[in-house]
Amino acid sequence: MTSARRAAGEAWAFRARVEQEAALRFDRLATVVAGFDPGSPVPAMMRRAADDERRHTELCARLAHGLGNPVALDPGAELASIAPHSLDARQAALYEVVAACCITETESMATLTTLLAGEQEPEVREVLHSISKDEVVHSRMGWAHLSRESVAAEVAFLGPLIPGMLAGTIDEGLFGPPPPDEDPEALLRLGVLPLAKKREVFLGTLEQVVFPGLERFGVDPESGRRWLAHAAGLS
Amino acid sequence: MQFKKLFQVLVLGGAMAGAVAATACSQANAQDKAKKPPADAGTKDSSAGGGVKGW
Repeated sequence: MTSARRAAGEAWAFRARVEQEAALRFDRLATVVAGFDPGSPVPAMMRRAADDERRHTELCARLAHGLGNPVALDPGAELASIAPHSLDARQAALYEVVAACCITETESMATLTTLLAGEQEPEVREVLHSISKDEVVHSRMGWAHLSRESVAAEVAFLGPLIPGMLAGTIDEGLFGPPPPDEDPEALLRLGVLPLAKKREVFLGTLEQVVFPGLERFGVDPESGRRWLAHAAGLS
Repeated sequence: MQFKKLFQVLVLGGAMAGAVAATACSQANAQDKAKKPPADAGTKDSSAGGGVKGW
């Protein structure tokens, strides 16, 4: 097996687990948000998103299996909140929605867009297309919730918490050197960004999409910018 | 990568999606706006919060 197929198999298996967790998170958050904002369209979007994520889990797992990396998923998996315990229920929901949708789903959408600008093996491209159509909505529902909360409640408390969200999002090796046997062209064909491209997309998305979006809705992104500069070795 | 387009599609598109019934929401929750968050929100607890892994 080539190094690219091995790395891609691991990436798609990881994505399957990520998608499974997202389904659990969206199901839980839909109930919480509906409890304090019954007029919001977001809970319905989240329930549909949970169904999307379960389908994505299967797609990613199938690709991982085809690349020689079968993934074992726990059907009874549970998912705890990632919000700081000091937040009340409404703040905790907003924290999770911003972390999961405004940051992670937005980053995922940028990754998918970048991948789809290149060429992939047919089965891989079909999966990328299918998932990207849904991920647009998953990112939007985060910005939808943040925009509503910025009108209805206080959201500035999130500013100092952005670094924690970012630290929990990235892989340890994102700002390190690529693996010595990395084959960028082969990885792209298998639906995986080479490390340098992944870093470029991550940074650009934060600086030009996520941080301006947070600022627009009253969340000061400055602590996030400082964290990013430090993590990326720019300060 | 067209980040400007992503901003428009995701951030601004999301805000528009959330605007459904936003007026009613803002009226119903006007009192909440006056409530200040705890000064130590996110800092007092030992858990500083985490993030969500993605693609």
